[in-house]
Amino acid sequence: MTADEATLARLAALAQHGDRTAYAALLQAARDWLLRYLRRRVNPCELDDLVQETLLSLHRKLASYDPERPFLPWLAAIARYKFVDHLRLAYRRAEDELSDEILPAVDAEPAITARISLDRLFEELPPAQCRAIELVKIEGRSISEASAATGQSESLIKVNIHRGLKRLAALIEN
Amino acid sequence: MTRSTDSLIEALAQDLAPVRPLRRWRGMAGALLGLAAGVLLLLGLFGIRSDLLAARPDPVGVVSAGVFLVLTLASAWAAIDSARPAVGARRDGWAWSLAAAAVLPLGALFLIVTGLLHGNASPLRDNGRDCITFGLFAGLFTAAILTAWLRRGAPVRLGQAGLLTGLSAGSAGIFAVSLYCPHTDMVHIGIWHGLAVTIAAVLGRLIVPPLLRW
Repeated sequence: MTADEATLARLAALAQHGDRTAYAALLQAARDWLLRYLRRRVNPCELDDLVQETLLSLHRKLASYDPERPFLPWLAAIARYKFVDHLRLAYRRAEDELSDEILPAVDAEPAITARISLDRLFEELPPAQCRAIELVKIEGRSISEASAATGQSESLIKVNIHRGLKRLAALIEN
Repeated sequence: MTRSTDSLIEALAQDLAPVRPLRRWRGMAGALLGLAAGVLLLLGLFGIRSDLLAARPDPVGVVSAGVFLVLTLASAWAAIDSARPAVGARRDGWAWSLAAAAVLPLGALFLIVTGLLHGNASPLRDNGRDCITFGLFAGLFTAAILTAWLRRGAPVRLGQAGLLTGLSAGSAGIFAVSLYCPHTDMVHIGIWHGLAVTIAAVLGRLIVPPLLRW
């Protein structure tokens, strides 16, 4: 069943008030919509990751939804942004790989300094969050590789990254 | 896939905490606060212009200050609204305000060129550096408030959001400058004050987008 616009807007407004049941229903409807929207745009092997990334962004940016406006144009704007960001990152990764081959010798000092600062911040995180961030965001492994390496499920890896980064941001800002 | 996305949805639902939706009026109140802070700072440092104090304002000074004030508000409104994305939303009111403000530097250039054609010395003097410096400085309050607002939201056109932030901050700063600057001639306002707003817009376009990426 496809939820209509008015229902989605109502669920989103309830979610902003902290209603978890409404929020779960909203996320399920959003997932279905995102699958339809992104299926024609990305490789099938990247579809799940992008849908989940977009759901995480929806979660982080829920306050930016205006309950007096329709829901789907808001979701579409977020999906389009994440899709473009996904393309940008893929392009940059390809460029970095090329640079690594051409310019193997670089100044390592900034990387070492950053690593020391990160290690200190990581001491404040639970080990599971720390490991998930380390594998995916620093070593550049895929979610499934990190899942296999840690024994955490793929969705747990994503949740741990999301919560860990949120906590790191709070630590840095405070 | 469905299984792992279902677990993610379950985890996100558990993680949910109530959020306060971003309201435009709250963002606009912040922008007005930034404008007021810039005005108070410069008036505290330099005092108010004598013709304003005597309630005999110079017409060119009043009109140009009004134009910069409208540009501040229109671009701040568009920047604030861009924190709440929506496909198909139109936010082009600021462009019309910018077009109206562009009359000031274009008019100044016209006066300089026609003056030169008639053999007059250029009326452009090197007396605008302080206006640029203090205008940019006073605009920092507005820039900081708008950037913080945009970071809370979900802007999807980062370049435009940065440009609008710079434009609003620069116009706010120059509005504050125009309350004390003794030069109320068209050439000074059009060139130097216009240049300050242009520099702020370019800086906003370059500096703000990386701060907004999400």
